[in-house]
Amino acid sequence: MEENDLIIKKSDRILVTGSTGFIGTRLVNALLQNGFRHLCCFVRHSSDLTTLSDVLNKNNATVEMMEGDLLNPSDCHQAVAGVSVIFHLAAGRGEKSYPSAFLNSVVTTKNILLACMTDTSLRRFLNVSSFVVYSNQSLKHNEILDEKCPMEKRPVARGDAYCYAKVRQDEIVIEYGAKHHIPFSIVRPGFVYGPGNMSMTGRVGIGTFGLFLHLGGSNIIPFTYVDNCADAIALVGLTKGCDAEVFNIVDDNLPTSRKFLRLYKKNTGGFSSLYLPRPMSFFLCYLWEKYSDWSKGQLPPVFNRNRWSAEWKGNRYSNKKLKQLTGWKPRISFDEALRRYFEYFRNARRAK
Amino acid sequence: MIKVVIVGCGKIADAHAATISMIPDAEIVGVCDHEELMAKQLYERFHVKQYFQEVAKMLDVVRPDVVHITTPPQSHFDIARTCLEHGCHIYVEKPFTLNTFEAERLIQLANQKSLKLTVGTDEQYSHAAIRMRNLVRNGYLGGPVLHMEDYYCYDLGEEHYAKVILGDKTHWTRKLPGRLLHNNISHGIAKIAEFLKGDNLRVIAHGYTSLFLKNLNENDIIDELRVIINDDDKTTAYFTFSSQIRPLLREFRIFGPKNGLLVNESHQSLIKLSGKKYVSYLERIVPLRNYAKQYRNNIAINAKLFLKRNFHMKVGMKFLIEAFYDSITKGSPLPIPYREIIITSKIMDSIFSQIYPNELFLKEECGIANSHLL
Repeated sequence: MEENDLIIKKSDRILVTGSTGFIGTRLVNALLQNGFRHLCCFVRHSSDLTTLSDVLNKNNATVEMMEGDLLNPSDCHQAVAGVSVIFHLAAGRGEKSYPSAFLNSVVTTKNILLACMTDTSLRRFLNVSSFVVYSNQSLKHNEILDEKCPMEKRPVARGDAYCYAKVRQDEIVIEYGAKHHIPFSIVRPGFVYGPGNMSMTGRVGIGTFGLFLHLGGSNIIPFTYVDNCADAIALVGLTKGCDAEVFNIVDDNLPTSRKFLRLYKKNTGGFSSLYLPRPMSFFLCYLWEKYSDWSKGQLPPVFNRNRWSAEWKGNRYSNKKLKQLTGWKPRISFDEALRRYFEYFRNARRAK
Repeated sequence: MIKVVIVGCGKIADAHAATISMIPDAEIVGVCDHEELMAKQLYERFHVKQYFQEVAKMLDVVRPDVVHITTPPQSHFDIARTCLEHGCHIYVEKPFTLNTFEAERLIQLANQKSLKLTVGTDEQYSHAAIRMRNLVRNGYLGGPVLHMEDYYCYDLGEEHYAKVILGDKTHWTRKLPGRLLHNNISHGIAKIAEFLKGDNLRVIAHGYTSLFLKNLNENDIIDELRVIINDDDKTTAYFTFSSQIRPLLREFRIFGPKNGLLVNESHQSLIKLSGKKYVSYLERIVPLRNYAKQYRNNIAINAKLFLKRNFHMKVGMKFLIEAFYDSITKGSPLPIPYREIIITSKIMDSIFSQIYPNELFLKEECGIANSHLL
């Protein structure tokens, strides 16, 4: 990164929330490797610092560690003081409860935005969002989903607490940006994979019912390898000309669900799967949704037409805007990324 | 139509809102949380008319019939008192209050104002628990309750729970007099309290920190508890709370002079434990055949309830709320008598004073002279 292209100097203070997480540790690594040394990592009392410490040791770097809680406004004020860029990655991931997801994604974000209003040194607030906020209802199968695609208007109808929280989080960032002149950008990564995350994206299929149901078929899966994703986040947070812009993050040469599942099975030990064609998966989601309504939630509405559309309808994805405005290129090719991912997977299994 | 409001818009408030929405004669007319966004999300998702940040303001504007209090237990007493003073009936999530002193004061105030209150120990109103209660009332035990055994297990290894409570040294659960146990044992203790008819209770409690927690450098939280309880009617009970034993039992056994009953809360099963003896080898065959038949019947009952859309995970909460609303509108008996609320509270006070003996709050604030003999 050349300093001329950036909105701050390399000696300026940068705050990273969620810095101990899967993407956060890679982002800290990317920033350190690009010469940014004045980092403040916001961590919770309960955070596991092992991976972050490994990153710091590898880079022979020390950073400011601030222990606190984003639900506590005074911690937020303390964290943002004198900061030039905020990378806001902390979020309530994996929450099934709406209030918990909302509290840990939206209320925390509001607190940090409120703190930003009193600090004039801030040049950019980068919110790390997700593909889940998009509604592709108006798109046909295989049409391109890009940054112009609208956000989900009724996120509750998706039956996914994370989707609801992330939509409201993006909305509050945009609202505070406009009302209080907080300079912001938003990145929306696709499914982030890599060493450290063994989970399989639901876009490929689900194993909820014992047998793995392959739902993705020939759909393209919007993968981004964690190191590529971290590079993109760093660039959007620091590069000139990204204010008030939204960027999708996906890698090049994205595989189909079928191809990925085949490689996954081959490299991680085979398991049985049953392919459900798209009309069939749509019909089952429709039935589940109707039953959930009829039974007043005896089965939670986790499968429904909105979710089917978002995850299994099948679209193509673009990283054109990201490349054009920031000069980002995926550093790790898909083949190499998969090799590293599966190697981690095998090692983790052996360790277990 | 009963006008209902909810104070506190966290995780358990969702269950309340979803359950109240299923009750035909009730409507949620307001929600309140000191964090405006939290109030707003509940208001938005459950199509509530208004949301507020201040309890008193909501009570003045909306004038509800019933207030559901779903805030952390430290605030239950003050909010409940405010609601009673505004002329509202109250449904307080478990644990009812921090101690018996507070519980008694709220009940006294409710009586003075001719209002009603209840506590959210809704496992007492699950399908299986209701079936058990009916059998006990119909004399299946063959006499008074002699003994009860209650297992209440909680999985601390579950990643999310462990992260939130164990990882956060400032979490509100840690500030409760009984710490983690205070927020978890009410359901189990309330089941025992329901069948204790004598006045003077003796409680012997033994608690310790499991190896699981110690390995996480967690020494402040007691997560293993064994309790012996008896009253002066010679009814006895054992209570076990564990985060470590497997299977994670939520099981209640109740015995009389002739027969016993076994309720498994997780499986929603009720098994009759017949005291009948069979001769010789038949004792090793006939009872087992009877148990097998009873388990098959339980499967059929549960399947039928599911098909009838009456098997929601929080169905006990629905029955409890309905019974409470009926007590307000129709004058039917309270679903949980005040005596049971007080006994539950006294047993919990006694347990906490024994397992956290260095804490002065119980004796000073509750006026309990001897925590073993209540």
